[in-house]
Amino acid sequence: MSARLEIDRIETSYGATRVLKGVSLDVAPGEFVALLGSSGCGKTTLLRTIAGFLSADAGEIRVGGRDISGEPPDRRGMAMVFQSYALWPHMTVAQNVGYGLRLKKWDRARIDARVNEILAMLKLDGFGHRNVTQLSGGQRQRVALGRALAVEPQVLLLDEPLSNLDARIREDVRHEIKALQKSLGITAIHVTHDREEAMVMADRIVILDAGQIAQVGPPETIYNAPNSPFVAAFMGATNVVRIEAERSGEAIVVAPGAGNRPARLARPGPQGFARGKLVAHFRSEAAELADAGADFADSLMLPGRIVQAAYPGGVWRYSVAVGESQFLVDAPEKRALGDAVAVRVPADALHLYQAGAS
Amino acid sequence: MGPNRNISILLTVPALVVVALLFIYPLGFSLVGAFQDKAGAWTLGNFGRAWDLYRLDTAFTVVIVLVSCALIAFFSVAIGGYLTLGESRVAKAILNFVYRWPLFIPFIVAAQCMRTFIARNGMMNMTLVYFGILDLDQVQGFLDWRGIVFTFVWKQTPFVALMVAGAMAGLDRATIEAARNLGASRLRILVEIVVPQVSRTLAVGLVLSFVTMMSVLSVPLMLSGQSPSMLTVNMAWRINSVGDYGTANALGFVSYLMTGFAAWFYLRHGMRERAGR
Repeated sequence: MSARLEIDRIETSYGATRVLKGVSLDVAPGEFVALLGSSGCGKTTLLRTIAGFLSADAGEIRVGGRDISGEPPDRRGMAMVFQSYALWPHMTVAQNVGYGLRLKKWDRARIDARVNEILAMLKLDGFGHRNVTQLSGGQRQRVALGRALAVEPQVLLLDEPLSNLDARIREDVRHEIKALQKSLGITAIHVTHDREEAMVMADRIVILDAGQIAQVGPPETIYNAPNSPFVAAFMGATNVVRIEAERSGEAIVVAPGAGNRPARLARPGPQGFARGKLVAHFRSEAAELADAGADFADSLMLPGRIVQAAYPGGVWRYSVAVGESQFLVDAPEKRALGDAVAVRVPADALHLYQAGAS
Repeated sequence: MGPNRNISILLTVPALVVVALLFIYPLGFSLVGAFQDKAGAWTLGNFGRAWDLYRLDTAFTVVIVLVSCALIAFFSVAIGGYLTLGESRVAKAILNFVYRWPLFIPFIVAAQCMRTFIARNGMMNMTLVYFGILDLDQVQGFLDWRGIVFTFVWKQTPFVALMVAGAMAGLDRATIEAARNLGASRLRILVEIVVPQVSRTLAVGLVLSFVTMMSVLSVPLMLSGQSPSMLTVNMAWRINSVGDYGTANALGFVSYLMTGFAAWFYLRHGMRERAGR
């Protein structure tokens, strides 16, 4: 049932605008891959090109070794789940789920059996005769998923299937989809702009930026070792500080700058780095707040003042003005606005890139 | 709020007066007239005469209008379907540009054009003969019921197609793509996915066309001289040649019942559909 999906140097345009600029990706049978990126990065275009709703200008798409680039969407052996659910309002739940099987000319008894099996799997027993317009958002999305799974597609395509659901239901459906995909062993491509959703659901994450792949890897690699400032920022390391440094053996020595104190960080820095400007990204939860005069070894210290505080739950989130920049830092203790503090970023919480690398 | 409301009522008065004077008053007058003889006494005689003389024409009218409606439904779904599901951009642009033209041509002009187009020695036959598709002694005129249907369909299809194509364009494209994705051909998508979702709009268009066709005098009068004919022609004949308003009113009442039935059928269907949701 599941098949290898190979995307080979795909290029796709909308009119004169080239949206995908040579994307290559190899998806193993049964693997769950999330396409993650901001609006306009080409993730939906890539999904629609795979589905056949858009034709590629160049490149090949292969499913189980068979080139399907020239095939219409109905002959690609794929099933898609849409953001808007795309259920047919004039059909019942059972008719929606069974439609693909009717197209395959299954007989009625077999369709009924399969539909019941799917509905049971999706915890929609007894909903077969309901009109889809009577269902809640979460139920509708499950019907849409059931409709796609009923035909046992070689590849399941998910186009932001959860973004119309409210937060609590979204988490449930997220886990349901993931569990189903694993138990059925189906190859799945999931488009999303929600970082957490991609992290939780995918075996591998593909970060797209301006029509190209910025990084591919398992969630923990993408999160802990983003390979570019773009990926770092996209994965939540949005605090950026520019530093001047020099390599010294397996460590780097940071010169005092407009915002930072001098420091010695016990890590080598980016590959091939000797001396010069570095861009350092870090997450608000990876930094700490220290008293203004405190100094810590193997840490970048950024002295500043608290200009804003908020309580999103669990920890306080402070906005700290350091020179001309502001950083977001999470801290468990309550501090007053205007307090002089130092932001401490441990060396291993820094994502370092040579300036101009992005 | 008060003065505003008065002004709104005032603004609707001219429209209401026009409707009352030009529509409701003559309609009421005609309804009453259907049940009165020349002396003003109550009678069902007008209906008896209408039945004796025009029952064939009544059936003829129903058949013509229903056949036309069926063809209009077919062509407007075909046009709307191509505009929604077609893949050739050029063909879609041309179709989109061309299909609405008949909307701007009045029935009487359309009828006059058809007289020269579909007559025995008309432009259509002569063109077919010229291209060798028809032989000169095979040609036949279409100035009979077929001409009426032809003209009605030609004239009313753009109107219904406009409504249907608009409704189709308003559908969630994903519902079409979902079917495509599962392996449905474009024809199946049209029949099983698109048309059911626009059926209400199609029904409204057909009911309006039904009423329009029931009321057209020029087309049957100009295209088909022989008997049987449509009820509008009979009504015109009763009034203009015989001065028999009673029978004309009775025929009017019959066509009113027919259009009323079409509207009732549509409304009932609509209500049931809404109740089912």
